[in-house]
Amino acid sequence: MASAMTDRVAVAGAGPGSARLGPAAVLAAGLAKSYGSTVALAGLDLHVAPGETVALLGPNGAGKSTAIGLLLGLLSADCGQVRVDGRSPSQAVADGLVGAMLQDAGLMPGVRVGELLTMVRGLYPRQLPVDELAGLAGLGAILRRRVDRLSGGQVQRVRFAAAIAGDPQLLILDEPTAAMDVQARRDFWTQIRHFAGRGRTVLFATHYLQEADDAADRVVVIAGGRKIADGAPAAIKARFGDRQVRFTLAAGSPALLPALAGVHAVEQEGPRVTLHSTDTDATVRSLAGSGLGWSGLEVGGLDLETSFLRLLEEES
Amino acid sequence: MTGFLTLEMRRCVRDVRYLVIAVAMPVGLYLLFTGLFGSHGQQAQGLPQPVELMVAMIAYGATWAVFSATGPRIAHERAIGWTRQLHVTPLTPAAALAGKLVTALAAALPAMALVALTAVLSHHVQLTVAQWPALLAAMWAGVLPLALLGLAIGYLAGDDIAFPLTMALYFALGALGGLWMPLSVMPHVMRDIGQALPSNGLAELGWRIAGGQASVPAAILVLAAWTLGSGLTALLAYRLRAARSTG
Repeated sequence: MASAMTDRVAVAGAGPGSARLGPAAVLAAGLAKSYGSTVALAGLDLHVAPGETVALLGPNGAGKSTAIGLLLGLLSADCGQVRVDGRSPSQAVADGLVGAMLQDAGLMPGVRVGELLTMVRGLYPRQLPVDELAGLAGLGAILRRRVDRLSGGQVQRVRFAAAIAGDPQLLILDEPTAAMDVQARRDFWTQIRHFAGRGRTVLFATHYLQEADDAADRVVVIAGGRKIADGAPAAIKARFGDRQVRFTLAAGSPALLPALAGVHAVEQEGPRVTLHSTDTDATVRSLAGSGLGWSGLEVGGLDLETSFLRLLEEES
Repeated sequence: MTGFLTLEMRRCVRDVRYLVIAVAMPVGLYLLFTGLFGSHGQQAQGLPQPVELMVAMIAYGATWAVFSATGPRIAHERAIGWTRQLHVTPLTPAAALAGKLVTALAAALPAMALVALTAVLSHHVQLTVAQWPALLAAMWAGVLPLALLGLAIGYLAGDDIAFPLTMALYFALGALGGLWMPLSVMPHVMRDIGQALPSNGLAELGWRIAGGQASVPAAILVLAAWTLGSGLTALLAYRLRAARSTG
């Protein structure tokens, strides 16, 4: 088993960038971990090819943080195997191949941002120059500030900078945007894309489907400690992302509604119709061409989280 | 690792609690006590008052120096998750632990040297050329069990109690260990307790060297026992925390 895990593997069709030969950036097989009687992971398989950006998507309690703890060598598995770039997670961390932004991980108190980053990069064999680091993480103005005097958003940026200070091959992020507002979130993913654009592998945990869709090449959905789906964001979104088209039906037969493009469920309350769609653009287009009479069109409804969680519950 | 050590030490020097309690206070107390008790009497140790108090205040300042660099600081870093973040860098947990220990020992030096300097300048304390380095080196080495005790507290205590606990221990070690007043004026039972404390062992090393006595087997035994006990406790506590580093 162990030797098979370290073998060079070629994986086809797992996602962009995965067709090349070489050790997987992350390879996990049958990972299981329990805390007492609580099962956090129940046999997780995961493959991430070098250069991929992969989202680990799942509701709270799905086992995302446990999986990340195992990938970083912070936890040890009850059973199963995990390899990072062909070696054990602790070895990969010690070799400076991995950078991580953990949930609730703080910064060294009592020092300046620049001092902290200089120290952290000094721990890695390969280092990003501080000015490049400051640029990538948007730190320009705060390098001389004390870490105890930063705003929440600034702390997140410094944590991100600390994670990439050693120019790691693999960047692991555990719900990195949890404390960010919309604008900060957008900026953050732009920064991640820049970093990934340097040929780096990124694995991030999130419970936002939209975030996974926006940022990842591939989405792995986990629930109840298992992988329940693995595929391109569009496919995952079509399966889990319930979007809605609402309007008032003024003329025409409701029987035509289920046949509209993208529609997978229809709700009707009096004349008010809600179409559940996997592709709202297509649904609206086909509605317009259907000859039905309608008014008061709304697209969205987009309680993405709720629908995602509901679907996950149905799955498990 | 060098960068980590340098930054840890820089933090220490900026720490107001360290500067006030470990560096300024022993100097102030030295001047106060020598002023109060006069600078000429012979003490129970057989040493002139300024020399005996110098050694006591060196031990006192060094104790807080190593405590402030370990107990409250490590407990706080564990609570805010800095320890976890550091564990996902190439710095191994063992190296981080060693770094803390080295920083604590380094923090003791300025506190010790400043009291000695004050004693020389204010009361013209004179030791031989051989005694000065011997006294400072022996007392510096004697701080080790206290630094290990600080590490143990840092890994065992929560952020909320680490500081008061360390503070209480520091006062207790000072008062009961004969740093505030000689053990010889205390009741018999207190004297026995005092002689078993690392703070007293530390001061005893200094007093003996300043008094020209080479042999200090009892004090060395006490310090060795505390080194072993605190070291094992610190190691076990550290491993316990490392095993639960994520939730």
